[in-house]
Amino acid sequence: MKTTYIGFLILIITLISCDDTDDTIETGTKEPTIELITGTADFSSYVAVGASFTAGYTDGALFKAAQENSFPNILSQEFSKLGGNTLTQPMMNDNIGGLLFGGQENPGFLTRLFFNGTGPSRIDDTPTTEVFTPQSGTYSNMGVPGAKSTHIIYDGLGNSANLATGTANPYYVRMASAGNATVLGDAMAQNPTFFTLSEIGANDVLGYATTGGDGSNPITPSEGPLGQGFDSTFGYIVQILTSGGAKGAVTAVPSITSLPHFTTVPFNALEPENEDFGPQIPTLNATFSRLNAAFTFLGMEDRSIVFSETEDSAVVVHDQDLTNIAPQLKQVLMGGGLDEGTATIYANQFAQSRQANENDLFVLPSSSVIGTVNVEYYTDLINSMVPPDTAGQLAINGITYPLRDKWVLIPSEQDALTKATEAYNITIKAVAATNNLAVVDLNAILQEASTTGIEFDDYNMTTDLVFGGLVSLDGIHLTARGYAFMANKFLEAIDDKYESNFIASKNKAKASDYGTNYSPALR
Amino acid sequence: MKNQLFVFVCFLFSIVTVAQTTVTGTVIDSQTGTPIPGANIASSNSSSGTATDFDGKFKFTTEQNPPFKLEASSIGFENKIIKITKNNQTISFSLQEGTLLDEVVVSASRTPERIFESPVTIERMGVIEIQNTASADFYGGLENLKGVDINTNSLTFKSINTRGFATFANTRFMQLVDGMDNSAPALNFPLGNLLGMIETDVNSVELLPGASSALYGANAFNGILFMTSKNPFDSPGVTGYLKTGMTSQKASGDNIYTDIGVRLAHKFNNKWAAKVNIGYLKGTDWTANNKTGKVGTGATRADIDYDGINVYGDEVSINIKDVAETLINLGRLPEGGDALVPSVSVSRTGYDEAVLTDYTAESIKADWGVYYRPNEDDLEISYVGKYGSGSTIYQGANRYAIDNFWLTQHKFEIKNDHFFFRAYTTEDNAGDSYDMVFTGININRAAKADNVWFGEYVAGYVGGTLNGLLPEDAHKAGRAAADGASDNGSARFEPGTVAFDNAFNESITNPDLSKGSKFQDNSKIYHSDANYNFGDKISFAQIQVGGSFRRYSLNSFGTIYTDEDGPINYQEVGFYTQLQKNFLKEDRLKLTASVRYDKSELFDGFFSPRASLGYTMGENKNHNIRVSAQTGFRNPTTQDLYIGLDVGRAALVGGAKGNPEKYIDTYDLSATGAAVLRSEAIDNGDGTYSYAKNATGAYENSFTASSVQVFAGSKNPGDLKIANSEYAKPEQVTSVEVGYRGKLNRVVLDLSIYHNSYKNFLSNETVISTFYGDVNLTEATIAPTPDAIIAISEGDYQVYQTYTNTDADVKSYGASIGLTTKVFGGYDFSTNYTYSKLDFDQKENPDFQTNFNTPEHKVKTTFGHTNVIKNVGFNMAWRWSESYLWEASFGNGQVPSFHVVDAQVNYQLPKIHSIIKLGATNLLGNEYYTAFGTGYIGSQYYLAITILNF
Repeated sequence: MKTTYIGFLILIITLISCDDTDDTIETGTKEPTIELITGTADFSSYVAVGASFTAGYTDGALFKAAQENSFPNILSQEFSKLGGNTLTQPMMNDNIGGLLFGGQENPGFLTRLFFNGTGPSRIDDTPTTEVFTPQSGTYSNMGVPGAKSTHIIYDGLGNSANLATGTANPYYVRMASAGNATVLGDAMAQNPTFFTLSEIGANDVLGYATTGGDGSNPITPSEGPLGQGFDSTFGYIVQILTSGGAKGAVTAVPSITSLPHFTTVPFNALEPENEDFGPQIPTLNATFSRLNAAFTFLGMEDRSIVFSETEDSAVVVHDQDLTNIAPQLKQVLMGGGLDEGTATIYANQFAQSRQANENDLFVLPSSSVIGTVNVEYYTDLINSMVPPDTAGQLAINGITYPLRDKWVLIPSEQDALTKATEAYNITIKAVAATNNLAVVDLNAILQEASTTGIEFDDYNMTTDLVFGGLVSLDGIHLTARGYAFMANKFLEAIDDKYESNFIASKNKAKASDYGTNYSPALR
Repeated sequence: MKNQLFVFVCFLFSIVTVAQTTVTGTVIDSQTGTPIPGANIASSNSSSGTATDFDGKFKFTTEQNPPFKLEASSIGFENKIIKITKNNQTISFSLQEGTLLDEVVVSASRTPERIFESPVTIERMGVIEIQNTASADFYGGLENLKGVDINTNSLTFKSINTRGFATFANTRFMQLVDGMDNSAPALNFPLGNLLGMIETDVNSVELLPGASSALYGANAFNGILFMTSKNPFDSPGVTGYLKTGMTSQKASGDNIYTDIGVRLAHKFNNKWAAKVNIGYLKGTDWTANNKTGKVGTGATRADIDYDGINVYGDEVSINIKDVAETLINLGRLPEGGDALVPSVSVSRTGYDEAVLTDYTAESIKADWGVYYRPNEDDLEISYVGKYGSGSTIYQGANRYAIDNFWLTQHKFEIKNDHFFFRAYTTEDNAGDSYDMVFTGININRAAKADNVWFGEYVAGYVGGTLNGLLPEDAHKAGRAAADGASDNGSARFEPGTVAFDNAFNESITNPDLSKGSKFQDNSKIYHSDANYNFGDKISFAQIQVGGSFRRYSLNSFGTIYTDEDGPINYQEVGFYTQLQKNFLKEDRLKLTASVRYDKSELFDGFFSPRASLGYTMGENKNHNIRVSAQTGFRNPTTQDLYIGLDVGRAALVGGAKGNPEKYIDTYDLSATGAAVLRSEAIDNGDGTYSYAKNATGAYENSFTASSVQVFAGSKNPGDLKIANSEYAKPEQVTSVEVGYRGKLNRVVLDLSIYHNSYKNFLSNETVISTFYGDVNLTEATIAPTPDAIIAISEGDYQVYQTYTNTDADVKSYGASIGLTTKVFGGYDFSTNYTYSKLDFDQKENPDFQTNFNTPEHKVKTTFGHTNVIKNVGFNMAWRWSESYLWEASFGNGQVPSFHVVDAQVNYQLPKIHSIIKLGATNLLGNEYYTAFGTGYIGSQYYLAITILNF
């Protein structure tokens, strides 16, 4: 009899024990999740119009992995949460970068850069993306590297025949729907409900800047007729894009001279520690003393050239804004006892020269030019019967031979860029306001990055080349992390304008999901 | 098994016998009429006795001549005495079942009284309960008492507490074994039953929840446990037990354990008696393999700043952005290179606890005593020595492998029925014990210095990033580089390799925590107590007076305490008196009042009073109501006062005046800091700087750690709060309690409600003291930013854990109710419920941890029968605890709700006075833990034979 009770009790205990306790440890309280709301924009057909940033161009090239990390692609991942379309991109053929023109490589479209342990270096491989193999299909990412504002509406940009004259763009040739298609037309064929119009205006100044303002690539005038002036062209592009009722976001043009392409090479790049330069300093100073005496005589002591044996010295540059003093200089030098031939060469060589100062900017490729022999000038001197030894000494770029205009942005050139940029931005902001578009101020962002750095999650990104994390190895385009940050800036502007809440609801890109460099092994 | 000596002794006794009286009879249960086997029959004034056989019959022979009294006793029944008037008399004892209310307790008023009339709440565990407990040992069985919490450190180290506020370092709870405080001098708290008693020597265990400083002085604060052994005069003979079984845990598998104890007590004559107890236990401890990350550090090693609960070495963590900046300053990373490095903390790769200990659980206990009664009466002079040694795990600020630790005590005592004087010493020796956390940290450091490791991590991270890795993989590359071999260090030592074993052995034998982890201590306590009970000498009331003296001698060789220059000594003295008087008709109202004065060398002296009223109601005096109000106090412990120990997360610095000055350490200093401190900075010559500093800043120039955290986010100096912890002083508790004990029909009910209010609650504060600059932000060497702000931003500060009192209001209250009855005709059933609640505003005091560590609700039930079928008994215990937050210096975390069932079945063998017990604890196998950080408690299965008389 008694044993039944034991059985009963065991049963009770067993029943009680069935509600297994949860033995996980609470690791802090979860933040409440905020639901994503659409706001007033319709993301069902998103089209990106723009240039290299829109395309995803990075490390001096366009390639598949980079396209995956283009900011429109990052944006479309967030838009898709609100019924957005899948972004279609004109994918490159490889991760090598660069283009082939009928099987031929082209020095303007080289393989991508990678970090070789000391600096940026090109991938040693052959591009496989053929310009003359048209891509079938239509694209919602209409980013065309190198496109200026006027190119967006130019109906010859995709015509391969125009490549020879430089008026066609090989990237667009490859993706254009027809030989006479326009970027804008192809974009409109996607019936956008939402668009981003990005970096329009950037290439309009960038070409001028990267060529040191030497005149080969002029700034697009801020005012002028359609297809020539920025104001009417930009207004037209927006008018067309919004014609179907689409909403969108545009970017203000950044002050591109803050990019590492222009800030990495210092004005005083001549280091006394340099074995090729340092030992020569006394000789150089002795040689220049006579020239400096002439400058002093002419009351132009500021044109004197002196190299320090202990500190970094400024590069000698050609400044077309200076008065050409070749005749006076020749006279003075001859008066000082120099023969006419030598005096002529000196007078011409230093007629508009000075040592650079902190107000001058040097383009990134100048680093591989400064201190090297200028072959062209050397040849000229030889032809002028100058002995080879002397010719060699006189033809050293930035030291004895004033660095040519295309490597340097002197203050007046920078002013031209600033004025154009400011004018463009006035147009952009006005047009955006009229059309109720969101504006992403890339100018302010780049300013912040180049001064205090910008906070992106756990990272503080700066505009330092290689180590800054924001700008890729070419010094102009962004890293994947930089594009992710840019996408978030778009989302922020869109939230502001169209009452969505991408940022507040944490539907945005995370820094830790994006790298700064691509593996050299990636092909 | 019979001891030849005892046969011989018995033989001697029998030949000197001249006259003999024989009595025969039976012992029966008065209620059922069934015979009671194994009942003891003894002459009340001699040591001779016998026991009933299987059928309850006995035959008693004595040299005494009638008349004399014969007493029958059996577990669970009230004793009965019959007067023998002639030889060959036949008698029958009819025993009534006893009630718990008639049990006698001593500790509540330092004088014997019925538990029913105790002026304060008291719990008791007697010989019967010990025999019947379903727990693996009697100490574990305390867990079933109401209001009692047992926090399981390890298999052999269980920590008892009542009424909250306990960590394993339970310095608020006192444990007295035959009057001796058996806390370890180095630790200030008892190591469970490691230096306790063997089971068959236990006479009774009494437990007073709540403060009782008025009688027992400092530390009798949360509660006090009294264990009393059997006196060899009263209980001579050889008893013992052998338990063997298995511990079963998912993490460690099934392991055999053995527990054996022998008690040898002999009464040589009416003047001399002696006793020896030996106990030995060996088993495998509960493996602690909780690899969950501590809050905020990620879940697994895949998380970069992972700090696994039972993974050690990964406590060393640093923000790699700061590392990158240092590397830039040293020219090892290009200018601006820190932009690629995220501002995140990264921890070193740790080692699982399981590779840092073998989890041997061992306990060796021995005690010996000589007892002398010069007048063959109640005056007794005794010497008792105790020794306890073993291997276990202790979880304090870190987790310690306690290995070959020993503790000895020597006591001299003189006492009679109304007086005692005792003096004893306690000495501990840490043996080969070591800190497992620092073992992990220092094995890592032996392979590669921290700065090298983190430098290589950052280099690997940056290299990986530039090579095209995403952050997650770049972190892996960083860790792989840092854990790999390099010019500046070895690859991480993998467990099982010779290199690991060498580093491990180096660490556990070196007491310098910057390189090793040996726990070194040889501290002592000298204590004496005296008590005089005027008893009947004063007629108007029962009055007692007493006092105690204690001297501490701390000697950790500079490894725990700031005693590099030699032992730290200090002393405490106390006096008390108690008055007890009965009033009203039939003495129904009982007033007890006591007061105690204590004075420590370090603090002002003060009084702690207690007053209680007990009123007995009912025709049969079956109901008793008690009300008491008392104060308790606790002096800061030796650690609270004199510790000086860097545990990694913080440097612990005791709050005795003058102590922080003695705790000097050398810290890394930034270049900016070196510029501020100028000549005081130490230039290490490799672009790094150091600074030697004592810890006074913790108490005199510090910010609260939480405010520095807020400041780190806001950059607003207004968010910084000055901490300047006060030096430690005694804490006090005022406790009010109301209780009822009574018998309603067959149900015994005991309920109590208490409210505790703490003043100057002793606790820790985490503070940050900068190496330069004052907390009022007036000093600005490099204007305009105040030095202290610069120090914070440069990381030129030390985190300290101070020992201080809070002026925050800490209160707690609770209630417990217990009922005991018989159900289904003869089954013992008891159940109790305890409610405990902390009343504290955590939001107002974010830096203050109360360590309440007690579930709000807990329920315990036991069910059993001592003789369910002939000679077979069983007992089951079920306990349930609600989930609760565990806070302690090792880490904070939620302890999930658990319920546990223990059960035992026993078979009595009356003829050989033995019981065979088959039992299991945690029968359901749901592994649980009672404190954050320990191993899961698995199941224990055992078979035990207890021989109560050879």
